[in-house]
Amino acid sequence: MKIFELENISMAAGFLLLMVGIWGIISQRNIIKMIISFSIVDTSIHLLLVSIGYIRNRTAPIIGEGVTKTDAATQITDPVPQALVLTAIVIGVGITALLLTYSLKLYRHNRSLEINHFNSLKW
Amino acid sequence: MVNPIYIIAVLLGTAFLLGLFRKKGFEFGMALGMLAIAFAAVISVHWFIHLYSGTEGGLNIYTAGSKPPFSINLFMGVEESFFMSAINILGLLGFIYLFRAFREQGLKSSVLFLVLIMGMNVLIMSRDIFNLFVFLEIVSIALAGLIYLKRGKESAAAGFKYLIAIGVISAMLLIGISFFYLFAGTLNIDDYLQSNTLPVKGISVAIFLMLIAILLELKPFPANGWALDVYEAAHPGISAMISSGTATASIFLLYKLLPLSSLDWLPYLTVIGAVTFVGSNLLGIVQKNSNRLLGYSSIGQIGLMIAIIGLAPRLGDHFNFIFVSIFISHFLAKAGLFWISGIIMRSNIREWSVLRRNRLSLFMFGLFILMLIGFPPFPSFYGKWQLVMDLAQHKSFVWIAVILAGSFIEGIYLFRWFGYAMKEQDDEEKKIIFQWEKLIPPIVFSVLALGASYYTNNLSLLGPTLNLIPIYFILALFVLDFLPAFVKNSLVIAGMIIYSVLLYPSIADDTLRLIFGGIFMVGGVLTLFAGYSEKGKREGFFPFAVMMYAGLIGLIQAENLFQFFFSWEIMTLGSYILIIRGKKSMKHALNYMLFSLGGAYLIFIGFALSHIGQVTFDLQTLSSTILPGWTYTLIAIGFLTKTAAIGLHIWLPGAHAEAESDVSPMVSGILLKAGVFGLVLLFLLMGAEQAEQKNLLYILGWLGAITALGGNLMAVFQEDAKRLLAYSSVGNLGYILFALAFVTHVGWMTALTYSVNHFLFKTLLFLAIGGVVMRVKTHNMYEMGGLIKQMPLSFIAVLIGIITLAGIPPLAGYGGKWLFYNAVLSKGWYFQGMFIFFAGTIAFLYCFKLIYSVFLGQPKDKFRQVKEAPVWYLIPQIILIIGIMVFSARPDLLLKPVGTMLSQSNYFPTDPLNWENVTASTDLGYWSGYKIMLVIGVMFIILLSWLLLMSRKAQKIKQFNIVYAGERPFKPETTHFSHNMFSHFYKALGFLSIPVVSAFWNGLNSVTHSMAENTRKIYSGNGQTYIVHIMLYIIIIYMLMF
Amino acid sequence: MNIFPRIVFVLLGLFIVLNWGLIMAGIIRKIIARLGMRRGIKVFQPYINLIKNYSIRSQLSHGVMFYLGPVFRLSGGVGIFLFMPLIYGSDYWSNFSFTGDLILITYFMFFGMLGMALGAGEGGHPYSAIGISRGLAQFTAIEVPMTLAILSIAIQYQTLSISEIVAAQQGGIQNWTMVTNPLATIAAMLSFLGAMGHSPFNVVMAPQENPVGPPTEYHGTFLGVLQTNRAILHVIEAVLYMNLFFGGASNWGVLIIKTFLIYFWSVFVGMVFPRFRVDQSIPWFLKIPLVIGIAAIVVFII
Repeated sequence: MKIFELENISMAAGFLLLMVGIWGIISQRNIIKMIISFSIVDTSIHLLLVSIGYIRNRTAPIIGEGVTKTDAATQITDPVPQALVLTAIVIGVGITALLLTYSLKLYRHNRSLEINHFNSLKW
Repeated sequence: MVNPIYIIAVLLGTAFLLGLFRKKGFEFGMALGMLAIAFAAVISVHWFIHLYSGTEGGLNIYTAGSKPPFSINLFMGVEESFFMSAINILGLLGFIYLFRAFREQGLKSSVLFLVLIMGMNVLIMSRDIFNLFVFLEIVSIALAGLIYLKRGKESAAAGFKYLIAIGVISAMLLIGISFFYLFAGTLNIDDYLQSNTLPVKGISVAIFLMLIAILLELKPFPANGWALDVYEAAHPGISAMISSGTATASIFLLYKLLPLSSLDWLPYLTVIGAVTFVGSNLLGIVQKNSNRLLGYSSIGQIGLMIAIIGLAPRLGDHFNFIFVSIFISHFLAKAGLFWISGIIMRSNIREWSVLRRNRLSLFMFGLFILMLIGFPPFPSFYGKWQLVMDLAQHKSFVWIAVILAGSFIEGIYLFRWFGYAMKEQDDEEKKIIFQWEKLIPPIVFSVLALGASYYTNNLSLLGPTLNLIPIYFILALFVLDFLPAFVKNSLVIAGMIIYSVLLYPSIADDTLRLIFGGIFMVGGVLTLFAGYSEKGKREGFFPFAVMMYAGLIGLIQAENLFQFFFSWEIMTLGSYILIIRGKKSMKHALNYMLFSLGGAYLIFIGFALSHIGQVTFDLQTLSSTILPGWTYTLIAIGFLTKTAAIGLHIWLPGAHAEAESDVSPMVSGILLKAGVFGLVLLFLLMGAEQAEQKNLLYILGWLGAITALGGNLMAVFQEDAKRLLAYSSVGNLGYILFALAFVTHVGWMTALTYSVNHFLFKTLLFLAIGGVVMRVKTHNMYEMGGLIKQMPLSFIAVLIGIITLAGIPPLAGYGGKWLFYNAVLSKGWYFQGMFIFFAGTIAFLYCFKLIYSVFLGQPKDKFRQVKEAPVWYLIPQIILIIGIMVFSARPDLLLKPVGTMLSQSNYFPTDPLNWENVTASTDLGYWSGYKIMLVIGVMFIILLSWLLLMSRKAQKIKQFNIVYAGERPFKPETTHFSHNMFSHFYKALGFLSIPVVSAFWNGLNSVTHSMAENTRKIYSGNGQTYIVHIMLYIIIIYMLMF
Repeated sequence: MNIFPRIVFVLLGLFIVLNWGLIMAGIIRKIIARLGMRRGIKVFQPYINLIKNYSIRSQLSHGVMFYLGPVFRLSGGVGIFLFMPLIYGSDYWSNFSFTGDLILITYFMFFGMLGMALGAGEGGHPYSAIGISRGLAQFTAIEVPMTLAILSIAIQYQTLSISEIVAAQQGGIQNWTMVTNPLATIAAMLSFLGAMGHSPFNVVMAPQENPVGPPTEYHGTFLGVLQTNRAILHVIEAVLYMNLFFGGASNWGVLIIKTFLIYFWSVFVGMVFPRFRVDQSIPWFLKIPLVIGIAAIVVFII
């Protein structure tokens, strides 16, 4: 069955995690849990990206051990998504860090990490 | 040309460099940062000038020495350079503005600011989709950091919500991008566009996700709660950057990515934008927090821009002009308003009255508000004009209605806010410092706004034909506002006289324009005379007085629809500000403005309808409109708001009564004639047959009759002298409307005679009563009494005025009544006529009440020492009395030319009035004003001398020496019969004066407000709710599109 | 006709009308008294009153407007006289009617009312002002059926000139407006009741509750002027109705008989009905007389 090939599994897992993550952001009241959910969303997208770039029976797009410059095009997987994943991870880390900083600030202001304790701005 | 890549390099490098600075080097670091942004600004402006004036298409920049898809590719075209220039200039000013905030929070925060600017520059230039994602994230992160520039629980919560929302949105974007890559095999926009990949569903979904994410960045209603919280909580300097900066970048991003999609996104964008524009503005009307209100307005404006992008195919070549003019207005105004908000540090819009302590910031506030709403001469006015005209050409009437409805709703809260700034109580206790570095950015933007207006005028299709001399005069008056009032007054009077003299030859042959031009200009000069009695500088009066008169005279001069509408708006604006200057006029001025705005939009739509299928905007196009019924009705209703026909009159009494003493005659005697002139013009241009067919004239006739009765009836029950006169104006305008609706020769003659008469007597009465009010400091007639001894001249003026008003022979008013009978009989509208005559007799009641309560009866102790009204009020009154006397004795001076003019027009070839010397006659009757005057004059003098002879020994007696049964009165207050004088009349007919119309409008008002109040509850303040909104929004749009 | 002979005839006509007015007032008051089982005044009592008032020596004035009030009032009365053609077919007795038509007369009525109102107003007496406010309020309603009647006959005769209206009614009673246009006549005669100020519409000068209304403060010569005016006005208003509805007059005898009968109509009604308050009289005029007036026009439209 082709469905259970690696890239499909990883893509399915990616979508599943995406749902889990968004569900977590929406349903979890605790800010830390929301941030974790956000990280799950992030990860799920990384999984998706990787699965998109994967080409079966090929190796990582690194020139060296067994992959030479000349035959790289036939030997390696698509390098672009891999590069994208790297960038996305960095950005994800940045945003997560910023979110955590904000959670710290919020806690200092209100001694609470419940998202619905921060409703004073509304309407 | 410097390669734009250096913008990125310099900004990024400086940002890194600033990170190394310690506290000591703050000033130096700031200077460096400023230099870096200035560098970026100069380069982008340079590029813009180069590309805009040249023929070059633009510059492709390839990084890393190779072409896409192996590298990231930037593009600098004319559009890019324009938006980058805007952002960089904004950034430079925003940086200066935040000087103090950066000092408090350390130089590191300014690093974020530089990164933000850099990110936005790249967003505009980059042609690589993933690169766009990266820089979108960089911008978001920088902004998220800057939101916390103002420390506090609110900003922390807003920042967190912002980050979470942006996180979800960018997750969608990234998913979209990755699948886009899967199907397209490239990340470069141009590559994809050239490759012509077959659209499969997969890629459509991917592109959908990308576009919806960008769209969500633009905060569409209602998935925008997170953004509102940010606007409210962030430092206003940052909110300005979000509203004018990132929104600009995002909307350009949307514009850039739109070609990717093979689906037709445009209709959806139109709907999304329109819903946002109307929805967001609707919620704004119940908002009290100024920054949040600006947020609502900002979102609304962006919605409008999205809608315009959606409507692009219908706009054709004009798209750029329309989009840019709307964009630039929003860009300058919104940043300016946020900046002002940061200067005064008042969150409640009612407290914006502190602006009055600094004239400059008040001026700028007004300027930005007007620019947002789209008043001339600002770019958005031209943009909206062109937009509506083009939409009409494509018969997109729904969109016209939606866009103007949104603009109107925006007008509601913006003008209410402006009213607060002008009039609300200012708590002097709370100190405020206007910091210079915070004032610079809004000042620069104001100047840019004026410059942009000038250029828009030149660029627009019709603008260059406008007569800008009055506008320059107004600007000069703003500059000269420091001079004392009498100097400015003389200047204005001289200006108006010179202008009239110059104007005269061009309208000398056109009796109609001559009459109205005469009313406007002569009336203007006369009423301005009264202004000499003002001491001090009278700041902010003269520019707007001139603005009103410039608008009025512009109506006379207008050669095409655009000029007419331009002048109409200018006039509305000037008169609004004049009215709001009154002590208690805040509410009334708002009413006036809203009715005027609504009316103006109806006229606007009418013009647009008449323009369908036409090339020019010539006034004559009205005659060949393909939708005569609609055009007629809409334009007529628009003018009726100005003439205060019943149902649309509720703004008038308050606005006219509460205005300053010399403003009341301006807005009552003179301004109301603008609507009359408009109606006359409408009938002349469109032809009466069209209106006749639709029974419009019949309806207008009844409307006029009911207005006359209603207005006069209401006037009878007033205790406030100026309110009485104001209601009387409603009634009098009803007569005019009624007579106009005849569309017969004698009917129009009546209308024009009545217009001139009303100008003469109402200006006279308002001046006289205004002079009295200045002395006694009250409007309540029952508090006055017996003032004839102190103010004999004012008494005579009022006496002449009411005799003319009531139409008693021998004065000019009788001419109007006589013509009325002839017109009614020849047209056969007897029952409407009955209303009019009934209204005429009712007028006696208030005439008597006015003159008796004020000048006769018992003098009050506290007014025994008051003096005659100021001489500057009396001079114009005397001139007006002379005018009335001349027209009374020689009505032919006016009526003959009017008759000739009407006969020459195509409609009324036969003049039913025959003149034999000074005696006029019709088929029905005859009238000789001169002989009547002579007979009555001689008789009066004979009888007077007879009485003088008989009672030459009459002796004067004291006040309370009257025949009073049983007791001797001693208190004037209890002996002066004035308050509720017509209680018996009220018992009999008061039921007709129940304010059903006000009740209707109040009801509509409260329904709208409660609707907005309930709808905005969706913004619960909970970050998770906002995420749910976003997800639902995506799902719903997806369902609709696929 | 030359202007000087015309002035002579005008003055002569004025003299006749004044005297007839005074005598008529005396006769009417005598009739009223007899109906009330009293002896009543002498028929020439109005003359006596007039002479007495003009010869009273003490003269008190409240101010300029107070002084001018009676002048306005008398100008109003005399003015209407001047603009009214008296005798049909006689150029000598047509006064200055060439300067204006029916509309002029209806509006000139207000001239005197306004002046009087202002003069009385300066007197400072609250009763004056109360009387005026009642009078004005009531007058608005009185005018409604009258205006409808005027419109009706203007449609009927297609003219607003009184002389032409009179001319159109010549040739026997069957040509009178009374016969040819009964509805307009009824509406106008109902309105006439109000205009004459007899009961039930005499709340303006109601002697029992409001001494004499507007003229309260006037005395001596001033009152004399007002009485002169009243005598002229009563006759001339009756002349107006006569001209419009009852065929006009071809000589002074007919004029005297017709005006007496017309005027007596209001007295007759007044003898029978009690007084209305203002808030009762206004709705009264706006009901039946209004409907009749509208009917008078509808008849011509259909």
